[in-house]
Amino acid sequence: MFPPGSGQPAGIKDIRSNDLDCNPCMKHKVVRKAVRMFAEAELGPIARDIDRDARFPWEVVEKMRPLQFFGLQAPKAYGGAEMDSISCAIAIEEISRVSAAVGLCLTVHNSVGVNPIVRFGTEEQKRKFLPAMTGGERIAAFCLTEANAGSDAGGVETNAVRDGDDYVINGTKIFVTNGGVCGTALIFAVTDPQNPERSAGVFIVERDTPGFTVGEIEDLCGMRANPVSSLFLEECRVPEQNLLGRPGDGIKIGLATLDTGRLGIAAQALGLAQAAFEDAVRYSKERQQFRKPISSFQTIPNYLANMATEIDAARLLVYRACAVKDAGRPFGAEAAMAKLYCSTTATRVTNLAVQIHGGYGYSKEYDVERYFRDAKVTEIYEGTSEVQRMVIARAVLAQRT
Amino acid sequence: MLKMVVCMKQVPMASELPWDAATGTLLRNLAEGMINPACRSALEAALRIKAAEGGEITAITMGPPMAEEVLHEAIALGADRGVLLTDRKMAGADTGVTSYTLARAIEKVCPEFDLILCGFATIDSETAQVGPQLTEELAIPGVAYVDEIEVCGRTIRMQRRSDNFLETLEMDLPGLITVTTGVHAPHHVPLGGLQAAFDKADILSLAAEELGLDPERIGVKGSATRILNVYSPTAAKKNLVLTGAPKRIVEQLFERFDDKLGGAIGKDLKTGKRS
Amino acid sequence: MSAKKRGIWVFGDYRNYFQNRVTLQLLSRAQELAKKIDGEVCAVVFGHDVDEYVGEYIAHGAEKIYLTKHPDLKHYSMEIYTFLMERLARRENPEIILIGATAFGREFAPRVAKRLGTGLTADCIGLDINEEGLLVQMAPSFGGNLVAEIVTPERRPQMATVRPGTFQEIPHNYVRTGEVVRTPMPEGTPAERVRLIRSERFPQRGGKLEDAKVVVCGGRGMGSKKKFAKLFELAELLNGEVGATRPVVYAGLAGHDSLVGQAGKQIRPQILFSFGISGAIQHTAACHDARFIIAVNKNPNASMMKQADVAIVADASQICTTLIQELKRRIRS
Repeated sequence: MFPPGSGQPAGIKDIRSNDLDCNPCMKHKVVRKAVRMFAEAELGPIARDIDRDARFPWEVVEKMRPLQFFGLQAPKAYGGAEMDSISCAIAIEEISRVSAAVGLCLTVHNSVGVNPIVRFGTEEQKRKFLPAMTGGERIAAFCLTEANAGSDAGGVETNAVRDGDDYVINGTKIFVTNGGVCGTALIFAVTDPQNPERSAGVFIVERDTPGFTVGEIEDLCGMRANPVSSLFLEECRVPEQNLLGRPGDGIKIGLATLDTGRLGIAAQALGLAQAAFEDAVRYSKERQQFRKPISSFQTIPNYLANMATEIDAARLLVYRACAVKDAGRPFGAEAAMAKLYCSTTATRVTNLAVQIHGGYGYSKEYDVERYFRDAKVTEIYEGTSEVQRMVIARAVLAQRT
Repeated sequence: MLKMVVCMKQVPMASELPWDAATGTLLRNLAEGMINPACRSALEAALRIKAAEGGEITAITMGPPMAEEVLHEAIALGADRGVLLTDRKMAGADTGVTSYTLARAIEKVCPEFDLILCGFATIDSETAQVGPQLTEELAIPGVAYVDEIEVCGRTIRMQRRSDNFLETLEMDLPGLITVTTGVHAPHHVPLGGLQAAFDKADILSLAAEELGLDPERIGVKGSATRILNVYSPTAAKKNLVLTGAPKRIVEQLFERFDDKLGGAIGKDLKTGKRS
Repeated sequence: MSAKKRGIWVFGDYRNYFQNRVTLQLLSRAQELAKKIDGEVCAVVFGHDVDEYVGEYIAHGAEKIYLTKHPDLKHYSMEIYTFLMERLARRENPEIILIGATAFGREFAPRVAKRLGTGLTADCIGLDINEEGLLVQMAPSFGGNLVAEIVTPERRPQMATVRPGTFQEIPHNYVRTGEVVRTPMPEGTPAERVRLIRSERFPQRGGKLEDAKVVVCGGRGMGSKKKFAKLFELAELLNGEVGATRPVVYAGLAGHDSLVGQAGKQIRPQILFSFGISGAIQHTAACHDARFIIAVNKNPNASMMKQADVAIVADASQICTTLIQELKRRIRS
């Protein structure tokens, strides 16, 4: 078992099977250890600095490439690690536990960049685009959001007009995670503006394509080491082979992709919560007031108990969604539940962690203020909590009573 | 083409040791395990030889069932198969017994080995004895604390530092070396490798009986040494704790230790004046 | 007829004689142990031009020297020495064999112990005889966090390697005499299978850290590069060297030469300042030879704080700055 307060749910036995029984087995334990050791050694020393300086740590990305962090679930044939979903969630969680911004980069790249191509791409598309992505040479970004299209994906105005054997894309995407460093972007655009829902498509656009420019990097409250930016497409011409699926498949691909995306974000939020929780436990044992550690009074242990329970529950929701996904069944509602619960847990836990640290928690000398700032956006991106509730409610109401 | 055996040990990961003051024992099972760093270097050395000369690597470990993790990690890094020696009767072994057990296992699973590689010492027991004793058990030549290795056919050439001497040595295979951590710095475990390692699962688990071990010679029974008492000098240590304002702390430090500090640095740090 | 005295043997590790005093240190301790068990202190010497060492060992307390001289033994030979020691021990049945924990000794002793079917405790930091007349061997483990008291209840000889610097040598006394028992190289001495191609004294490249009397070590608690750089200023005032932990080296705050740890350098300073270091085993294992440790950390429960002689609960960087100021003031005045 891990030392107390470090995440491995107590009481989960070390058993081998991994079907719908989502109990972690020895493989998951070893994956957790391997990623944790990597994260603490390579990201730990610089996590604070890259947040302060809003710097994307290329030097760590270099080290991640040969370890297949950029192809977590991609098939081995295309350079991926072909890991199961729980292992993938664990990897994202452990990286995010040290640097949520880097965890964000990885989960977005894997779940909404690599994953759609694996699921919906043709053999040629996979062979053409995947190896550079799984090898980490081209970091992926998924571009859906626009100024007038946030939760309302139907409001997308970016259009892709057929011209001979090509499509010409025009539009602006905002708040693109990994935007500043992406090598391959998946652009959600409509081919027939009169009929957006039926004509949406996902286009693979590589950075060096003429007409593709990266806008200024956003100056954000949290996740600052992740270069979020706008992307401008002006007469950007791509061959029709860059369209994923058939024209009109956009909504279908988008929705399916987002399911995986939100599962990854759930894991990321979980890592954040875990980090804040561990710091809170440690601090409450060290900090003395009234000649006793604050962990010996009543209020703080109550907080810690709530935090521990919520984190465990959040983790189980993630693993359950992973198990359903790996069993090949629709997992949209389960993923939405995981994302909703993990993100609200992250904001609650990080908020409490700052509170427990008292004045010191508000200082940049401690990490909890960074966790606090990082946590908020997990309730917003990849589908706001309100959207997650919509998804869950739809599933609930669709069930036969 | 070299048949290599790498001996690895799983050691506790914790830097803060869980210590049971009541029983005076180390709560080893509370700490997560990791591959002993020097054993990682030994594996790294074997991997480099495999990459250059071709070969096959068998990773072997003796420990509780959890030690199997080490073998999966070794396979993920490039070892070909793993052997776990696990048995309640093997618990409590000293290095003499450990080397006896490892030797019999190697004779069973890889009798035609060319080179055995061990880490020079573990970070928990720190004896550095198993390597040399394994050499004796198998009656092969061996060299400890090897920094660099070069394979020349059936001979290996090694460089090491031994008590202020930089030595270049040669040995004909089969033989054994213990590897230091400097040159063969280990790298991280690749995730795809881990997945494959668990899918493949080419791991053999052996108990004392299957190895044909003499029960009198293994475990606590077979150990020549006995631990009378273990104490934590850190727990028992009456150290001086200073808190408060930095200026006051530093003042106190000099008040008590200006002689000691001055002596060590060769300067007079006493001052009659107070600022 | 007097009962044969119980032999307390010390292996004569004479290589590097002026820097390597461990044999003399062990002879001095052996004398004290001998008083408790009616023992006889002997030194075992294998070599070629070794008469000078034989004289030194007698002058430092050996009552008897077992000596084997041969041109083939001009350099230390692991296999031949192991063979010779085994034969000698089987013939003379010593009670105790002590070997200095030099690099050679730490490889030699386990082989001898294995040949003799006895136990061995490595790197002892203390030796004593208990009421039962057994040799109590005190050995550290877990990076110095634990010390075990170990005995070899039944097998003989009782063997231990001892860390250099654990015991003090007694001053030489050239008036002392001792018996020299010569043993020729036996028939059937095996050939050495490890060939020594070249051996050169290596220059102390970067040995400054390993030999430094004062080391100032910095860890993650120091914070930034700017704050860490202050440690160099402090080290200079203290005539010392700067060491670092692995996370710090990884973050680029210090070079790999400064790494103090299992994968880096072992240090044994008289005074170790440990700034903002939690104390992972890989690090403490490399610095638990320090005589006096002053640790500074915000966390009073950090492993390094527990091992320290003085534990300062404060911000490491602030203490560093304050120390620099105070030292400048004192050195000036």
